[in-house]
Amino acid sequence: MEEVKNNKGQNLGIAALIVAIITFVLAVIPCIGLIAVIPGIIAIILASVGISQAARNNSPRGVLIAGLIIGIIAVLISFSQIFVGIRIANNAGKWPTDIQNVIDDVHDNVMKNLEDANISIKVENGEDKVEINANSSQKKKMEKTLENLEEGNKTSADTVSTNDTINKK
Amino acid sequence: MKFLKEGIRNEPYLLINLILAGVILLVIAYSGIFSPDKNNYPVVCIHEKLTGQPCVSCGLSHSFSLIVRGRFDEAYSWNIYGFRVFLFFISELVLRIVFSFFYIKYPRTRKELIIFDAVGSGLIFLIAFWPFITNIFGAL
Repeated sequence: MEEVKNNKGQNLGIAALIVAIITFVLAVIPCIGLIAVIPGIIAIILASVGISQAARNNSPRGVLIAGLIIGIIAVLISFSQIFVGIRIANNAGKWPTDIQNVIDDVHDNVMKNLEDANISIKVENGEDKVEINANSSQKKKMEKTLENLEEGNKTSADTVSTNDTINKK
Repeated sequence: MKFLKEGIRNEPYLLINLILAGVILLVIAYSGIFSPDKNNYPVVCIHEKLTGQPCVSCGLSHSFSLIVRGRFDEAYSWNIYGFRVFLFFISELVLRIVFSFFYIKYPRTRKELIIFDAVGSGLIFLIAFWPFITNIFGAL
């Protein structure tokens, strides 16, 4: 006598497998991995219902079990993307502080270098050459002169120069 | 036709191969339909939406579209892992067709074929998606 094969739950199994494989592909891509939780859960439910139907009717369960396993793995991977999101969010909060620290460091270094700076400017125009050398050793004196000028006090000199030396060749 | 339908239903391996090949063809079609020049992709990065920061797979759609159009240099600049992930999809498409053929042609070696396929595809998957996997484990 020919054995009649019961295919109860097989349609659910195929549906579960299709959804599970699509979920798996989505889950491994971080950009869209998070939303893969939803189809993953649908795949697990479909496979579970299919397995229970197949168990009652003694029908084959290969497709259903495959769908269930792939669905579970996909949902686990998809859940793990939440942690990736949390890490990115944490970094997003940290990055502006890091950038500000770098800017502050650079600013401090530049200011420190400028305070100790010896500046030399050479201007050439044909045969005329002007060389200006300056350093910040007279900074306080110049600041005082500047304050006097701002207050409208007359200084001893008609012109104020920050130059230590001006050589004209 | 009915025989083929029943055969696929009763053979989970063939069914998985068929579905996976279909999904990969959909990915290639998606890359071909949407244009990197028009930037009309319907899928946006959820991480970038939530945090304002790009994730490791950002630019993958652009990269795939550019690979399909043969603009490999631009594809690499959009996402440095785009090429290896795209190669994974292409290799899996070829493997699904080849392994399905061998599965039908040589019924005696089916068990060995499935084990070989599982190990091989698993390795290819790990190589292709390693940056994304390390990204997940790094976050845990």
